Amino acid sequence: MAEPRTEFAISVEVNGTTVERTVESRSLLIDFLRSDLALTGTKVSCELQVCGVCTVLVDGRPVSSCTYLTVDADGRSVTTVESLSSGGKLHPLQEAFVDCHALQCGFCTPGFLMMAKGLLDANPGAEREEIVEHLEGNICRCTGYRPIVEAVESVARQQRAEAK
Amino acid sequence: MLPPFRLARPKTLDEALDAIGEDQVPYCGGTELLLAMGAGLHRPDVLVDVKRLPELAGIRLDGNDLVIGATERHDRVAEHPLVREHVPMLAAVERAVGNARVRNQGSIGGNLCFAEPKSDVGTALIAFQAVATLVSPGGRRALSVEEFIAGPYYSAKEPDELLVDVRIPLGGPEVRAEYVKYQIMERPTLGVAIAHEPETGACRVVVGAVGEVPAVWTFAAPDEIDADTIASEVDPTPDLTGSERYKRHVTGVYVRRAVDALMSRGS
Repeated sequence: MAEPRTEFAISVEVNGTTVERTVESRSLLIDFLRSDLALTGTKVSCELQVCGVCTVLVDGRPVSSCTYLTVDADGRSVTTVESLSSGGKLHPLQEAFVDCHALQCGFCTPGFLMMAKGLLDANPGAEREEIVEHLEGNICRCTGYRPIVEAVESVARQQRAEAK
Repeated sequence: MLPPFRLARPKTLDEALDAIGEDQVPYCGGTELLLAMGAGLHRPDVLVDVKRLPELAGIRLDGNDLVIGATERHDRVAEHPLVREHVPMLAAVERAVGNARVRNQGSIGGNLCFAEPKSDVGTALIAFQAVATLVSPGGRRALSVEEFIAGPYYSAKEPDELLVDVRIPLGGPEVRAEYVKYQIMERPTLGVAIAHEPETGACRVVVGAVGEVPAVWTFAAPDEIDADTIASEVDPTPDLTGSERYKRHVTGVYVRRAVDALMSRGS
């Protein structure tokens, strides 16, 4: 069998680009993204999977990158907040956050955006109750959550209308 | 940053059993282990990633048992058609474990092996009289989940053993079950599970999270469940979520609510 090792050669698709690197077994995805790839949009705070600030998508599912070994992303696709806007054009979720005043200091915003993207990619017309339940594990100390839920709900509502 | 460690990624059960040991610990979702390592509470030499072992994966029926592989993530258990059909209470419990990220990363087996007192999954499984399957180089053994959760942060799994799966006996007519919990922080303050066997009338009441390990009471019928007795007999751990007296009171309230939920649901 493969002997226990401290270094692994991995191939990860990050925001659509294949990245090949050798990483330590103890490398956490948050450090890999921020330090190795200079993708500093993803923030880190509690390091306990409680606050949700470090949320990224792995194969489309939200995970806490502070508690995710980089080697476990080998062969998978990782999506970060940097992927949302393109050519200066904001993603509909980002537009909605601006329109609904869903951020103040902005530190929690990348996590909320990626949680919301994970939900709406799987269920584009998610109802309010489902949105609230899904975002329960993310902490915001500025907004009181209501504008955040409203922002996500407005995108879901629009997508529901478009699907008709 | 985590302390340095070596990582093994076995592909077969035999390789995994060769790799584990006192200082070579199984690793799956990391939702408990990586936190403990980050906090400096645990510093194993080797993490043995068990996510590639087919024997530890999958959800299926085996005779009268619903078998859930140890590495199945909470979100998979919550959504799986067999779980939703046969033990909808467990599906509901799994749908509300931690948060969406914890459910995407953490496994049912890891949850049981860490025996975190403030957990819902063990409490629910004990109500169903679920059994844990353990494997070591010497063979297999089965242990009730009640015995498996031996103490706070302490399972009955030996260092040379792996948890393979959890088996929920189905057999007979469907067990009616309810779970209610009280939670103000990221982990439950209290969880109450009730399973009622319609044929015999017997009820199992399990109270978890409030003390060091889930505690079990049995009654001959739902209307014999005595919330005051249970509240007086639990052994609450006082902490930031409440004093001993407070938790005793909340236990009585939630046992009554669980009974009401069971009765109002009908058969």
